[in-house]
Amino acid sequence: MSDAGHITAAKHLLEAISVSKSFGEFHAVAGADLTVNEGDIIGLIGPNGAGKSTFFNCLAGETPPSGGRIVFDGKDLTRASPEAHARAGIGRTFQVPTTFADMSVLHNVMVGAFLRHPHRNDARDKARAVLELTGLRAEQPARSLGTPGRKRLEIARALATEPRLLLLDESLAGLTPNELQDAIGLVRRIHQSGITIVIVEHIMEVIMTLTGHVLVFNQGHVIASGTPDSVVREPAVIEAYLGRSHRRPQATDSQVDR
Amino acid sequence: MVPAARIDGEGVIKALSPRLAIILLAAALLLYPLVLSGAFYRDVGVAFLLAAISASAWNIVGGYAGQVSVGHSMFFGLGAYTPLLFYSLWGWPPIAGIPAGIALSIGLSLLIGMPTFRLTGHYFSMATIAVAELIRIFTGTWDFVGAAIGLQGPAIARGWWDLTFRSEVPYYYLFLAVLALLLAVTTFIERRRFGFYLRAIKASERAARSLGVPVRRTKMQALALSAAFTSVAGSLYVIKTGFIDPDSAFGILISVQMVIVAALGGAGTLFGPLVGALILIPLQSATNTWFGGGGSGLTYILYGGIIVLIARFEPGGLFELWQRVAPALHKLLRKRLHV
Repeated sequence: MSDAGHITAAKHLLEAISVSKSFGEFHAVAGADLTVNEGDIIGLIGPNGAGKSTFFNCLAGETPPSGGRIVFDGKDLTRASPEAHARAGIGRTFQVPTTFADMSVLHNVMVGAFLRHPHRNDARDKARAVLELTGLRAEQPARSLGTPGRKRLEIARALATEPRLLLLDESLAGLTPNELQDAIGLVRRIHQSGITIVIVEHIMEVIMTLTGHVLVFNQGHVIASGTPDSVVREPAVIEAYLGRSHRRPQATDSQVDR
Repeated sequence: MVPAARIDGEGVIKALSPRLAIILLAAALLLYPLVLSGAFYRDVGVAFLLAAISASAWNIVGGYAGQVSVGHSMFFGLGAYTPLLFYSLWGWPPIAGIPAGIALSIGLSLLIGMPTFRLTGHYFSMATIAVAELIRIFTGTWDFVGAAIGLQGPAIARGWWDLTFRSEVPYYYLFLAVLALLLAVTTFIERRRFGFYLRAIKASERAARSLGVPVRRTKMQALALSAAFTSVAGSLYVIKTGFIDPDSAFGILISVQMVIVAALGGAGTLFGPLVGALILIPLQSATNTWFGGGGSGLTYILYGGIIVLIARFEPGGLFELWQRVAPALHKLLRKRLHV
């Protein structure tokens, strides 16, 4: 306890401080705060157009925020490029999978692996190890994959950059119940390997089973934050997102009616 | 004895591998001017190599990185003008102008890439057309470089270093060596991180960035390398012809030919530009010969027709077509050998 070296547990991995983003008069994100500690799995939920994706893109460096600060591992990344975010240790997936269609699955993942392994053989070894974890066949062309495979490939590609923080943008959407269970298992394994995760997701089952902490967005604001169990009981969340008919956390159909 | 027959069959199919195809192609290119020694054939051979070099150079940035330049004649032209400018100014052998042409082309590529590679989409293509045309028009009015008349090289060789030969054969082998070097460099790139990054950028800049690919820097490097080799192609052209004017250096057809040759064979593949040149150049030479001077407009028709065919039926070029057809051919061949 007296040893000064042991205070690292209190250090935040990512801190977003009153981040805002406006497009002209439209305030997509109006001052959102997020603190992520090493080892967290945090969920971002909210109705479509609530600002989660914009906020997410701010965290990944793709959209420079209009205001606020983003600090990752002690470094200010507020205005840094997506490349700099990747180098710093933030990996991400996309809501609409953007795989390199003309390349094989292995080569897709190697592009990510090259970030920390400039030599081809090292990058290939790294890519193969990641593919083992994610369960994709290395030699097939990426274009032959269906949507679930592409989403999985995006996760693999991001993992190959050896991130400390992984941002998953609806990576589990559009899966069949069986595929969903597989994918949840995969996210668990990734988390157990020591990677911190922030996940945007509409499927409440994913949020309830995976995350320890949830932020609910509505109209650019964070309207609630806490454990999944406590958040789904908050009247403001039910009103804005889950719908009045919401009883069980598993219900997912009601997400669309504002 | 069925197993033995099977092994033999497999052996034949294996022997038809890409490696053998490359060896056969290399042998054919080496022997070509010796076997077909007519003036027409040698002319076509040299024109083919020059087109293959230009298109392969374009391919690095236009094919692999997917940044479609339609103004590569600016680098070709710089490479063509500099040797003859050095000759006309100081009487230097044209070959001495090659490094300066490369340096100028790299400089120009950086000037163009810096503003345009910030943007995505067609801005780069449009900027390259505009700059190439500006240079062409400007060169036509600039007396220092001979204005519309152009520049002339040494008519009679003062020594071997002028590289002025009566026969086409030395040019043929010189060009072939440069093509081999360029393909070796391309192979080298293809296998390295740089090559992976180029293909990733072509597919999705956004995804590439998220994986830490320094997109702008990588595109600039690709353009600079491509410009350097395109410049060499221009220098080779002028060393052979001994004459250059604005249209044959910076004309839009020079740029368009590179795009079409590469796209016809398969842009972003190692041998695509070579295959494209192998088909297009003899075709072009044949139409020019059959229809004489009156057929010069046919080049445009030919190019237009090819663009339509590629866009409609085979955006990946002949290389992709072959990749789809080859398995079926193998199957057929295997069947034949077994029965």
